Amino acid sequence: MLIVIPELDEEQVENTVGRFRTVIERTGGEVREPNHWGRRKLAYEIGHRTDGFYVVMEFTAGERTLVELKRILRVSDDVLRHMVVKLPPSYTHEPLPEPEEVPA
Amino acid sequence: MGRRRSGPPRGGRPVKSKPCVFCQENVAYVDYKNYNVLRRFISDRGKVRARRVTGLCPQHQREAASAIKRAREMALLPYVVGR
Repeated sequence: MLIVIPELDEEQVENTVGRFRTVIERTGGEVREPNHWGRRKLAYEIGHRTDGFYVVMEFTAGERTLVELKRILRVSDDVLRHMVVKLPPSYTHEPLPEPEEVPA
Repeated sequence: MGRRRSGPPRGGRPVKSKPCVFCQENVAYVDYKNYNVLRRFISDRGKVRARRVTGLCPQHQREAASAIKRAREMALLPYVVGR
């Protein structure tokens, strides 16, 4: 899951997400269609911003995926916050074909 | 930690143990993205509620607590309410 800064418009958010998608795919992971929650109020202020675009991606990771992805997420200025969570194999209710990870 | 779980209530009204809501619904994974569900387990100050209040089983209480913490990290739930 990641939070993108609210200054962008929908299209730029798509592009940003697309970048991470490329990273995952390039390093041997598979990405499911990202789930856009849209613009939401944050529960508290982060860097003087009160809202942000929430995007949830589920993906499988190749060997290098996590290192690369986390590095890029960290240096991206348009990502306010991100979190990668390992999902349990039993994770089903929304989505998954096999054990995967959600960048949160 | 879970010392006072069962056992006879001493004094006062007997404690009815109600089954854990997650067990009842067969929840295998307490998802931090379900912040509306998690909201039931925090106080109006934003603190995690004690097991004796939430009535969750030890496993689910633990999972709920970590889910709340993840949700806080992603600004889905507040760390502190008010002030």
